[in-house]
Amino acid sequence: MQNEVKYIEIVYRGIFQKRLAKYIAEGIVYMARASGKSALSFGRYGDSPERNGVPAKYYAAVGEVNEEDLIGYSTRVEPDYADVVIVLDDTLVKGVESWAWQGVQPINLKLREGGVMIVTSQKRAEELLPEIPSKEFNWRLAIIRSPASFSGLWAFKDDMTMEKVWGAIAKVRPDIINLEALESYLKRKDKAQERIRNAKISYEELIVREIRAGEGRNYKYTPPRLPTWQEMLEGAVIPAVPFGKRNEQFKRGTTKSERPIVDFDICIKCRLCWIYCPDEVFDETPDGYYDIAYEYCVGCGICAEVCPVKDCIVMVDENLFKEYESPYNLWKKDKQKYKEWIKELKERGKKERVFVPGLGR
Amino acid sequence: MSEIERNERVYKAIIKTIKDTPLAEYYTSGHRTCQGCESALLMRYMAKAAGPRTIVVGATGCMYVANTTYMTTSWVVPWVHTQLGGSGAAALGTAAALRALMRKGKIKEEPINVVVFCGDLGCADMGLSGVSNAMTYDYNFLIILYDNESSANTDIQETSMTPYGAQTSFSRPGKQKRIMKRRWKKSVVPMIIAGHRNVKYAATLTPAYPLDGINKVRKALSVGGPTFIHSLDPCPKGWDYDPMYSHKLGQLAVETGIWPLYEYYNGEIIYNEPTKGIVEGRIKRKPVNEYLEKQGRFSHFTEEDIEYFQKMVDEMYEKWEIPGIMPIKSINVKIKES
Amino acid sequence: MTEVERLKEKEILMNGTQAVAYAAMYADVDVVTAYPIRPYTEVMDTISKLIADGELDAEFIVAEGEHGQFEAVKHASLVGARTLVGSSGTGWMYGMEAIVVTATDRAPVVAVIGNRALDDPGAYGVEHNDALMVRDIGWLLVWVDTAQEAFDTTLIAYRVGEDKRVMLPVGVSMDGGFLTHAEQLVRLPPKELVKDFLPPYDRGKYLVHPDNPISVAPQVNEDWVMEIRRQHDAAMERSREVIEDAYKQFKKVFGRFPGTTREIKMPEDPFVEPYMIEDAEVVLIGAGTVSKPMKVAIKSMRAKGAKVGMLRLRWFRPFPTREVIKYLSNSSVVCVVDRDYSMGSPNGGGVFYNEIRSALYDLEERPKVINFIGGLGGREVTIQDVEKIIEIGLEQRDTPVTKPVYWFGVRGERW
Repeated sequence: MQNEVKYIEIVYRGIFQKRLAKYIAEGIVYMARASGKSALSFGRYGDSPERNGVPAKYYAAVGEVNEEDLIGYSTRVEPDYADVVIVLDDTLVKGVESWAWQGVQPINLKLREGGVMIVTSQKRAEELLPEIPSKEFNWRLAIIRSPASFSGLWAFKDDMTMEKVWGAIAKVRPDIINLEALESYLKRKDKAQERIRNAKISYEELIVREIRAGEGRNYKYTPPRLPTWQEMLEGAVIPAVPFGKRNEQFKRGTTKSERPIVDFDICIKCRLCWIYCPDEVFDETPDGYYDIAYEYCVGCGICAEVCPVKDCIVMVDENLFKEYESPYNLWKKDKQKYKEWIKELKERGKKERVFVPGLGR
Repeated sequence: MSEIERNERVYKAIIKTIKDTPLAEYYTSGHRTCQGCESALLMRYMAKAAGPRTIVVGATGCMYVANTTYMTTSWVVPWVHTQLGGSGAAALGTAAALRALMRKGKIKEEPINVVVFCGDLGCADMGLSGVSNAMTYDYNFLIILYDNESSANTDIQETSMTPYGAQTSFSRPGKQKRIMKRRWKKSVVPMIIAGHRNVKYAATLTPAYPLDGINKVRKALSVGGPTFIHSLDPCPKGWDYDPMYSHKLGQLAVETGIWPLYEYYNGEIIYNEPTKGIVEGRIKRKPVNEYLEKQGRFSHFTEEDIEYFQKMVDEMYEKWEIPGIMPIKSINVKIKES
Repeated sequence: MTEVERLKEKEILMNGTQAVAYAAMYADVDVVTAYPIRPYTEVMDTISKLIADGELDAEFIVAEGEHGQFEAVKHASLVGARTLVGSSGTGWMYGMEAIVVTATDRAPVVAVIGNRALDDPGAYGVEHNDALMVRDIGWLLVWVDTAQEAFDTTLIAYRVGEDKRVMLPVGVSMDGGFLTHAEQLVRLPPKELVKDFLPPYDRGKYLVHPDNPISVAPQVNEDWVMEIRRQHDAAMERSREVIEDAYKQFKKVFGRFPGTTREIKMPEDPFVEPYMIEDAEVVLIGAGTVSKPMKVAIKSMRAKGAKVGMLRLRWFRPFPTREVIKYLSNSSVVCVVDRDYSMGSPNGGGVFYNEIRSALYDLEERPKVINFIGGLGGREVTIQDVEKIIEIGLEQRDTPVTKPVYWFGVRGERW
């Protein structure tokens, strides 16, 4: 089975890339079929209903096996391994925590030997690698030079990301889809020439980096131990969160693609960030500032939007950060250094955000 | 409770400024809601306003599933799940049990808040009969309708709370029909007020006005008897916009007049700012297009649709006897001034 | 001195529904929710009057429908209130969402089911399918055949359901019409004794109250459901022992076995009522009021020399597998009377038929099992019907079963 059935795992930001992930998987199935293999796709049931930003996974299965066997192997919640992991937002490389009792899973958890991870990113492999947990075998990292494509449920941004992803797969895993099948598939669509052009450019300009065993971040993933039926309370009862604490079982910091940074020097302590945060991540400090529990922040950006002081709270790329340290403590420790640091972050890490991502306005 | 005692209790419950808002959280971080979920913010305000001596009951919906995915919780106060259409009955059962047990000396006698939340379907559609029945009793509880204008947890479908023309998975525009959602949004608070005489407090709110919202919950819980609150919660997933603008959209909903803020207390309709300014003519209503153009769910709207929408909202303030609230334009008698 | 006088009981004429209401009053219920549907409604009429007359202190809520009715008591029970609720037929169906959740939330509600045929078309007469709908989802289910049993069993239901080893809702089923509206003399024990039998309802760490912050029933996925179901299954297993304890305790406190009236005496087996079964070659099985004409018919057939007996099932959930095997293994033919149906089931037999057969399957030597479906929608099961059933059973003693399932008493069908 191991060599006959291949799984493609698409890791994406829930809702924002829901349709994108689905269309990519769909295309893989059609193209594999056209090359004589059996194929199918499925979303991960537990992700549904998807929530804005919460990491989700979609799968495509391609096999040199009988279709029925393929279904037999694939009637799973998640497959055990993936040959290709497609990451549609580069901030997802920091980890995937989709629901409670999962812990933070490595982005390449399922990747097996000989596999390749394809990431859409504006960054270089050297910048992303320190955040990606190491594996015990060699694998490949491929980067499609492109910002993350975000859309909404109703207005889909058809910005050729799918075509670029397919082109990339054709380059690194022609055993799954080949360029010929890709071209004939795209020929049948509207704007065919543009699509084929983008796929080919991606194919040609794909940056592929060999990653050796042990290269990357030293992160040991241990899934939380689930209690037995004798240990659990009866009747689906669980204890409430103790007063003053946050929910230990689901921290969800990996939901964010951007992180708010606070310029405490110009903060006027108006409390608006604290009161408008739907995720209760602000904590009042003894001297009246508002610290952020980054581990729980989901990067929605409301605090940046409501803060009345210009450039006091600014959303910056999540990939620029290694840890979830308290910003207030960093500032208190060395105000000058902090000020310089956030200045640099603002220059490097600001992304443009529009009202309706799919419509681009 | 006499009227004077009640008024005093209500006055003492009010928080004057954002600085005075208590820090304690009874609904805390670690819930699987969307980025920018205003319904989650409402839960936070509601729990904060109600405090630790509270039992919260939540009907199936986003605020059930998202807050507890999976086998986890964000609630610090006791919380119980109820069925989609069960919110009214859950309020009755919980409040009646507390009353019986306290009266019979089986538990300590003390004020315990009973807050039941339900969404579009739970309050306005499936559960409406239960909510209405609950309102006819005299038990103390608060039912909050958190309105994200769709059946959001099932991946956004149409409900009676969905605005005219909005896209949901049941109302996508197609080659033949552009507008599939032809119904106008139901007004639930007026139904509650008009039909249930013993309701002492009912209100509308939106989390974009936090003090207004928190105080309304506190007032409802101080007044005694069955109370009802309807909150409009911008939903970045269903309405299709970047989550950082949730707060802004909440404000726009009120500033365009689409969502009037008001309370019903002691038999009086009390308009809250900025709706009060709109009704009194001090503030000009923003054109609805400023609100509609910022949401992907209205991206298929034509000029004609926007004009219709504007006309319907204009009518609320220009033609209705009780502006923004009841669709009564006139009555056929002249009431004699006595 | 009669036993009634010795035990200081009162003997009052009441029907099955009133008996349940009186038992709930004795149990000092805290919250009752009502909604009218024939034929159980009088339970609620009676409770309402008891409250108005000051004999019971409870909150009485009239719901807007059975769904709301059952939802409300479930929540009241989670908050620590002892509750009473009930319905019949299509009303029980309307409340089914709430009914299923009551079991999975482990709320020990006591519900009286006035067995009634399911709609459409509307029919008020007795049929057991309404109560049987909960047989898979984890309710305890017991059938009573007299008003006395209705009173006694309701008290037992509170004790068993609320026991910390169980914490499950109990359905007390009674035949619509034949028991709900039949008036019999019921022995009511002295009220003061109840506290010795029925301890206060204590949810312990499962109580919903600000002093015990818990979250009840969060959303779960495939990682959790099996464990939750297994716990529920374990509670159902434990309920057997709790039922046995409860019946023993009842006799100890009130001085008589539950269901005993001035003249009706039964063997002291909580789960079943065996009757003339020791040497029986043909054994009849039934539940509810059908047992009484059965006994008359058995006596008359015995007088003619037939070796026939009866096993009445009281508790359907948990199913009395042990008792069924014990009492039936020496018989030749088992005639199961089903006052219910199960369309398209194996052999087209009723629910009791299929369960009895399944319980007997592992025996080295199994009796033959024949099903008699009848009495549906309120149709009578007369003594003559039962005599004919016994004759068919006797005929089949030495031959293989010619016809496994009979529909009896149907116009146009010979049997």
